Amino acid sequence: MIGRTLGRTLAVAGLALASTALVALPAIAQSEEKTIVGGFDVGPGGFQGNFNPLTATAGFTWLNTYYEPLVTYTADLSRLKGELAGEYTASDDLTTFTFKLADAVWHDGEPFTSADVKYTFDLAMNPESGSIFAARLADVVSVETPDEKTAVVTLKGPNGGFLSTITQLMMLPEHELASKPAAELAQSDWWSTTPVGTGPFKFVQYASDQFVELEAFDDYRDGRPQVDKLINRYFANPAAAVAALRAGEIQFTYAEADDAQSFEDAEGFTVIPGDSFVLNYIGFNHRTELWNDVRVRQAVMHAIDRDTIIETLYNGAAKKAECNYVAPQYVPDDLIDYSYDPEKARTLLAEAGWEEINGGQELPWLTYYNSPQVANIMAAVQAMLADVGVNVAPRVVDVPTYNGIVRGDDVSQFPLVYAGAGNGPNPAQHNINLNSEQVPPNGNNIMHISLPELDTALASAMSEADPSQMDARWQEVCRVVNEQMPWGSMWVASRYGIASDSLEDFVWTPAPGGGPFEMNPEAWDIEP
Amino acid sequence: MLRYIASRAGTGLFLLLALSVLIFIMLRLTPGDPIDAYINPTIPIGAADLAALRERLGLDQPLPVQYFAWLAAALSGDFGYSIQRGGVPVLPLVLSRVGPTVLLMFTAIAISIVVGVSAGIISAVRKNKASDVGLSIVSFLGVSSPAFLTGLLGLYAFSVLLRWFPSGGMLTPGRPYSSLDLLYHLILPATLLSIAQGALIMRYMRGSLLEVLSQDYVRTARAKGVREFWVVVKHAVRNALLPVITLIGSTIGGAIGGAIFIESVFNWPGMGLLMINAVTSRDYSVIMCATLLTGASVILVNLLTDIAYAAVDPRIRNA
Amino acid sequence: MATLSPTMSAHPARGPIRRAVERFLSNIPAVVGLVVTLIIIGMSLTYQWWWIYSPNDIDLRAINQGPSVSHWMGSDGVGRDVMARLMQGGRISLLVAVVSMFISMFIGFIFGAVAGFSGRLVDGAAMRLVDLAMTLPPVIFLLVLASIAGTGVMPTILVISLLSWPVLARMVRARFLELRERDFVVAARGMGASLPHLLLRHGIPNCIDILVVYATLQIAAGILLEAGLSFLGLGIAPPEASWGNMLNAARSTRVLEAYPWQWMFPGALLVTSVLAINFIGDGLRDAFDPRSDLN
Repeated sequence: MIGRTLGRTLAVAGLALASTALVALPAIAQSEEKTIVGGFDVGPGGFQGNFNPLTATAGFTWLNTYYEPLVTYTADLSRLKGELAGEYTASDDLTTFTFKLADAVWHDGEPFTSADVKYTFDLAMNPESGSIFAARLADVVSVETPDEKTAVVTLKGPNGGFLSTITQLMMLPEHELASKPAAELAQSDWWSTTPVGTGPFKFVQYASDQFVELEAFDDYRDGRPQVDKLINRYFANPAAAVAALRAGEIQFTYAEADDAQSFEDAEGFTVIPGDSFVLNYIGFNHRTELWNDVRVRQAVMHAIDRDTIIETLYNGAAKKAECNYVAPQYVPDDLIDYSYDPEKARTLLAEAGWEEINGGQELPWLTYYNSPQVANIMAAVQAMLADVGVNVAPRVVDVPTYNGIVRGDDVSQFPLVYAGAGNGPNPAQHNINLNSEQVPPNGNNIMHISLPELDTALASAMSEADPSQMDARWQEVCRVVNEQMPWGSMWVASRYGIASDSLEDFVWTPAPGGGPFEMNPEAWDIEP
Repeated sequence: MLRYIASRAGTGLFLLLALSVLIFIMLRLTPGDPIDAYINPTIPIGAADLAALRERLGLDQPLPVQYFAWLAAALSGDFGYSIQRGGVPVLPLVLSRVGPTVLLMFTAIAISIVVGVSAGIISAVRKNKASDVGLSIVSFLGVSSPAFLTGLLGLYAFSVLLRWFPSGGMLTPGRPYSSLDLLYHLILPATLLSIAQGALIMRYMRGSLLEVLSQDYVRTARAKGVREFWVVVKHAVRNALLPVITLIGSTIGGAIGGAIFIESVFNWPGMGLLMINAVTSRDYSVIMCATLLTGASVILVNLLTDIAYAAVDPRIRNA
Repeated sequence: MATLSPTMSAHPARGPIRRAVERFLSNIPAVVGLVVTLIIIGMSLTYQWWWIYSPNDIDLRAINQGPSVSHWMGSDGVGRDVMARLMQGGRISLLVAVVSMFISMFIGFIFGAVAGFSGRLVDGAAMRLVDLAMTLPPVIFLLVLASIAGTGVMPTILVISLLSWPVLARMVRARFLELRERDFVVAARGMGASLPHLLLRHGIPNCIDILVVYATLQIAAGILLEAGLSFLGLGIAPPEASWGNMLNAARSTRVLEAYPWQWMFPGALLVTSVLAINFIGDGLRDAFDPRSDLN
């Protein structure tokens, strides 16, 4: 009897609560404050749960709403522009960089000075802080502060990529952090509880695995932001964020290509397409004997019908890559055209003696991409390669497993990979992937590519100090990659964000690692 | 009696220790470490930088050294910091996820008991009538549907299409806490989670009540002219509930399994979501702590049950 | 009465099983479940002889097409025939469920039996191991084991088997503890019967009800677990088909809304099979329950 009474009471209470909740809804939904909620850390450019800009490999779109770098990219990622450095100049030999700082204040009211710049550089160059900038800033000789508003950085030698690197170096407040030892900073909860930046929004709270809340910074140097609150909601995957967007709970998110497609003609939403700056490639493991013959690598290129894949599986939203670049200034006109030609692929394989090299044996084809779109692409490529006699078996693993395998020594596990490589805006990015000097334990040449011709081309491009010769040098790299196919360059796809039409003056682009780029969050507004 | 309790508690502690060794070994066998999980493969990072990060976290030490360092700290109550959540101490993090999980599970269990028991009564009383057949079909479907599928479809129907309930999370971001807001976020995941459990309870309730209804004392009551409604309510349901209560206790484990999927679909900040995130990011210290905490609670519950039995039945004590 | 007793004593061992079979066959839902299961198994084992498409044939010119005369259940994101994948997926899902059931039944039975028939020391050790396996949170066990084992048919089977055996071990042990005190076992032991002999001659026949019911319910649970694992991306990895990874496509709202045939058919077939197997399991449970004769 007790059980039944209890049950009935529970049922009644439940119903009552449920109906109150439904009635109370409109009341909850209405509010005086202007709030923008978005999935700013969804997708490959985001990094949910990371609050430390020194250890961030991505997520800069969000970090840049409350921290700021000295220089940033313009919203089309075509050139650099001052952010916390109102003006900056580089010496002709690209070794000395002078930054004139803007009149910014930290969220706690302290002025932003050159001492903060020096402190940030020192911290970023100190590996004890957990910084992943240490190696990239290794050529910094000194950071000098002639006055409160001027900082001068001197490098060992010319480095055309320096400014591009420091777009991701968010300025940190010396007065807040200097008292903490660098080694403890990486484990400090300062980052996720009381961080202080100079950006248009200031930190309020992080609800673990749920959302990060920011509020308008009244004293922002370009004026108080238009909205009162900016919230970054966390999602387990892009599909969940898309559901929340459609349910009207958030105003912006990154979306997978097929989801973006369903928003194309949906009312009330704008699809923001952009270049992914990620080159997808079929990586040949040069530590195996399988791919030594260039004809085998070329045969793989001819066996894949990239035009049809781009047209059907990407809906046309990808650029075919004939070398490691797609940006027109780095691509010469006289490249080999790897058009779909299975007959030619079979001939090349026969000439190279593929029967003896591997024959019909199944090769694992490793990837970390787990999106339905890539599963489809790999299934299509698998079928096309099988058609010419190269049998591969796609194997999808999670990111840590992938990294663990390709950075390990069991080459039988990854004779072939499908992966992406950051592809700009800075062309020098490929050096660490393709140069034989960058084979681990030094760099990121995990496929152990070692082609002397390519090394020469890369070295001459890296050390070129004359800006007018720059493009020609990188074109040479492209030409060598096109001939030798150290990896099978496939395509550079588009990525998408979807914004509700209630947003005004909203700027976003699918920048690699989330940017940063000039997005002016202080101007973002939302219709009531 | 005291000796019995002491020996059982000792076994429990030994089990916990064995569990920590087991999970430690399993974690190190898992391909990829926290640093591998941290780096985005499309972003070029030098192997030297990664080696420096490993060294800083002590991941380059031999395994026994790492284990005993962890054990020594853990014994003094220090479970370390989350590797992937820069600076968050593990123990408070894990403890903060117990509440949401318990809330979700208990709400789901309450819903499944209320719905399951009442549907079971209706079904048994109206045996072989249309309502019985209908309820039975629904309950069989409930038992046979994977939790993630009901979760996905429920989410799509009730939040994307109808917009009745939020699509995920536990509180509306950026608004002050209110229990109504919490309830509003709780209803959909809890209801979807309760389906399988509720269906099972309904089937047991139906079977158990049918058996009771055929017993002599019920017949006697009927013969005495007691109205059927009172026969069922007063005499039968009470007795039929006993086996169902035992069932509820023993199937809570199953509900935990379903909770992982629901927590993942609805981004509910509970233990399941924490563990999924920790495993995919190889956040060793979080996994160790969460495992030991859940393991300890299972051991504790078993221990209490055994002690209760022993208190009643002296034979067990001496066995 | 007088005519009945000789027949019963003539087949002392078969009696209860035959009666169980009779009871099972008179249970309509159970028989329907059996027929449906057999049809599903039959179709997925034979599809390559009567269905023109094969599950991995892509056709980029016919992607995401709805059900039609040529593709009865439509085509998927790379133009593969959904029906062919459904049948192949059924083969994989059932294979995973059945093999993992046998493995976990073997481990569970051996553990339970040895613990039940042995002395306190072995019993204690075996049961602590079962405790350990049950103390390990299933989430962690599942996720970590799946990450170690990787994706594919064999690892998925391994994960599901290792996750399922402790429950059976406990049930078998309880039965064996009871059995150990029975006269015929005591007698057999007294005559020096070996452990294998005891298990085969007395153990299995006296556990057959537990084992059969466990087997069917475990197949149903295995199908659901496989689907769940594949849904989390830990089970059967594409392009190999399984019901779980076909359902995974429903994560995308695009597929959920615009291409419902890609997830509705696998979803429906998965629920139908689990339902049918659960009916069989229920029928078997009733059939082995001596009390059901009284009703």
